[in-house]
Amino acid sequence: MTGTCRLGDAWFAERTAVAPPPARVDGREVAIAEAIDVAAAILTEARLPLVCGLGQTDCESQRAAVALAEAIGAVLDPTGPPGDGVAGAASQAVGTSTATFGEVRDRAEIVVAWRADPVASHPRLLPRLRLDRPGRAAGDRDRMLVVIDAERTATAEEADAFIQLPAELDFEALWATRALVRGVSFDRDRAARLPLDALGQLAARLRACRYGAVLHGSGLAATGAGYVNALALLVLVRDLARIAHVVALPLRHDGNARGAEDVLTWQTGYPSAVSFARGHPRAQPGEFSAAGVLERGETDAALVVGFDALAHLPPAAADHMRRIPTIVVAPIATETAAAARVAFGTAAGGVYREGTAHRMDGVPVPLRAPLTSPRAGDAEVLAGITARIAREGGS
Amino acid sequence: MLRIAQGRVYDPANGIDGEVRDVCLDDGKVVAELPAHARRIDARGMVVMPGGVDIHSHIAGPAVNAARKLAPEEHRADVLDRTAILRSGTGGTVPSTFATGYRYALLGYTTVVDAATPPLAARHTLAELRDTPIIDAAFLVLMGNNLSLFELIRDVRGDGPGRVTEAVAWWLEATGGYGVKLVNPGGVEMWKHGNRNVTSLDDEVEGLGVTPRRVLATIAGAVDELGLPHPVHVHCNNLGVAGNWRTTLDTLDTLQGRRAHLAHLQFHAYGGTPGKRPRSRAPELAEHLDTHPEHSADVGQVMFGPATTMTADAPVSAVLREITGGKWVNADVEAETGCGIVPFAYRERNYVHALQWGIGLELFLLSRDPWRVVLSTDHPNGGSFLSYPRLIRLLMDREFRNEQIARVNQKAIGRTVLRDDLEREYTLGEIAIVTRAGPARLLGLADKGHLGVGADADVTVYSECEDREQMFATPRYVIKGGEVIVEEGELRAAPAGDLLRVAADYDEEIERTLEPLFEDRYSVRLSNYPVREPWLLEPARRVPARRGGSER
Repeated sequence: MTGTCRLGDAWFAERTAVAPPPARVDGREVAIAEAIDVAAAILTEARLPLVCGLGQTDCESQRAAVALAEAIGAVLDPTGPPGDGVAGAASQAVGTSTATFGEVRDRAEIVVAWRADPVASHPRLLPRLRLDRPGRAAGDRDRMLVVIDAERTATAEEADAFIQLPAELDFEALWATRALVRGVSFDRDRAARLPLDALGQLAARLRACRYGAVLHGSGLAATGAGYVNALALLVLVRDLARIAHVVALPLRHDGNARGAEDVLTWQTGYPSAVSFARGHPRAQPGEFSAAGVLERGETDAALVVGFDALAHLPPAAADHMRRIPTIVVAPIATETAAAARVAFGTAAGGVYREGTAHRMDGVPVPLRAPLTSPRAGDAEVLAGITARIAREGGS
Repeated sequence: MLRIAQGRVYDPANGIDGEVRDVCLDDGKVVAELPAHARRIDARGMVVMPGGVDIHSHIAGPAVNAARKLAPEEHRADVLDRTAILRSGTGGTVPSTFATGYRYALLGYTTVVDAATPPLAARHTLAELRDTPIIDAAFLVLMGNNLSLFELIRDVRGDGPGRVTEAVAWWLEATGGYGVKLVNPGGVEMWKHGNRNVTSLDDEVEGLGVTPRRVLATIAGAVDELGLPHPVHVHCNNLGVAGNWRTTLDTLDTLQGRRAHLAHLQFHAYGGTPGKRPRSRAPELAEHLDTHPEHSADVGQVMFGPATTMTADAPVSAVLREITGGKWVNADVEAETGCGIVPFAYRERNYVHALQWGIGLELFLLSRDPWRVVLSTDHPNGGSFLSYPRLIRLLMDREFRNEQIARVNQKAIGRTVLRDDLEREYTLGEIAIVTRAGPARLLGLADKGHLGVGADADVTVYSECEDREQMFATPRYVIKGGEVIVEEGELRAAPAGDLLRVAADYDEEIERTLEPLFEDRYSVRLSNYPVREPWLLEPARRVPARRGGSER
């Protein structure tokens, strides 16, 4: 393999290491068909099954997961680590100005990382944005990186400017920056905890650029006010976009988190937290989010696709998942798979199976299969369960 | 085998205008005769037409999907249940993929062209079309703001399109696309240069050495040279701007002598001065089209009620954002195009909206050749495809039309010729032209839009009804590929449709030219760019280009 980063190397190594058995029921290795029978029975008997995970599998498997969720009247919610995708609901409320990464590389004169640390989370991103070189469209203008975070992060070390901001002041700082961008006066004494001079310089630079980009990460949700913070950030970018060409890009944890939202949207009209319990899609973030239905004890069976749910869900949600029959479809050994009633060890997409993934900027890319495996992929297992349930006569 | 017996058949491509006769279908095609024992549909007293063909709609891909994400309110209010044969979904102006396929079929449409896919996102569009059942679908590839093509266009020496021809064919082959779309050529690139635009065909695209006129002429030349089944499909510069009819005429003059199709002409038919109240220039544009058989258009009719504006013409969306103050999406696609989305509603009492509505009707009623001025609402920009039956009634029923004209903003109507007692009423034969035969011919789909022997067995049967809106909203039968899909207003089956893609040869040397441009412009490698995945591209039907007049 070439061109991968340390995270990519680890990802690949994990998927080519000794794989979990193709199928287990209660920890006992069984034939795939038997495990599919048990999984189908669990999901058919459940009153409100949950399908979650999905951000680490390919679009073809996500498509199969939505079909299965619909067939069993499940709640389906693409789920990653806490705070991941925090801006999704906010962008539904106000929209967004965004771009693919090639545009940021070639045009952005200023890149702002707002509570995002790509040097740690996406090591190849900044080198690919080539901020050390002039952008083609930016001409000879200086290109600069500004980091806003609570601590001096690895990305801050590479930045031209670092603005230190306690996490709980995100909203106030974003709102004050809006005022600074729009030239609206406000009571500076009441904003005394904010680094107003630095934010004022940032606002001036963004106003003066022809093309600017704001990268934002799960850090926006660090204080639990993620939705409001994301809303403030998107509204700030919208205000800026009336003056200069400014775009915002969310940095995502899972490699195909964007694909999960896209597939779910085209099949149902909604990007997350969809319930099929009434035979048609209904969406209600919070009510139908994976953590929500688990914490409230509403779900009585879970199907987890390619996600170590127990390691990432809030404690109360994870506790409930330990109590209900759980089915895991994943190419790697996880805590969740070890604890599951039924666990499928699949052939990993992008290693043994071809597929499609959507990058976090929405660009669809092909996943190649450099190695071969006799195992089934996620999509085949999911389709197998759906077919088994259909044979049972449940329409 | 299926015999549709004794209906009144409207098959304008074969000169049949309401004759009572049988239509025989076998093995997915129209055939001359069938044995007596073949299954039959008694179509006595019914109207039989080829399946509808939509030449310009937005049904799949990243822009449509971004619009879906913006519309949870609409989706909550309009749901489709899962059944034994149907997937569930949601509707509104931007329905989910399954709902899109079902609802087009329920309307009697069996072929739909998605009018705008960024080539970089072809995989996304293809994946959505795979989940859009029943209808055969094609998509047009956005090429009007492509930096690599700009570079090739700039370097063309002499009269012809040079290597641009090979590059255009390469892009069609790489994406699985059907035809070439130009949207505000040069203007979308300028939008990325600090929110600017072009305003005339001779504005230079900053630093790139091309003008909109050069892009138009060169790419239209390339499309002609390739002999693509559908001519270059142009969304002109200055959409929505008062006085833009001059740009539209200038565009047509630039393309004189070449085949060209103008998208949603209504949005490009405004007189007046930029920034001031527009007026209608539909008569002048209708006149031009009448005298230029090489040119065609779809109308892009505005219908009152909810809509979602979505366009590669991102600067237009920024203007709409200022009008609504509501949700707005902008999405720049590297080196290729842009995208803007604004949910919108057209209101009868609003001067501009009523004018737009009136101009669309003028274009329909003043154009003498229905084969070249065909029906669209630019779904969902001017309104949902579900409003086609109402639009058909406006065209067929003068009394109804005049009632509606009286309801809307009268100042706007005064800026049109609609008060001049336009008596024309479309006949059923003319409706069959603007909704199926015409679009199929303009698209170069020889097997669609007619019922001659060898045509695809896509047929819509309507119950005769004086209320044309009701008649066209609820076909009695819809047959796709010989299979009865809709009966009594209900779906009976939902098979997959085909991808319709062009087959255009190119000189493989062009990849050597494109490779360094790619390394420079894109964040994906050239080797990862062309779509090769069979599950995205199949089942497909290839429609051959006729390069130099010959079939490949």
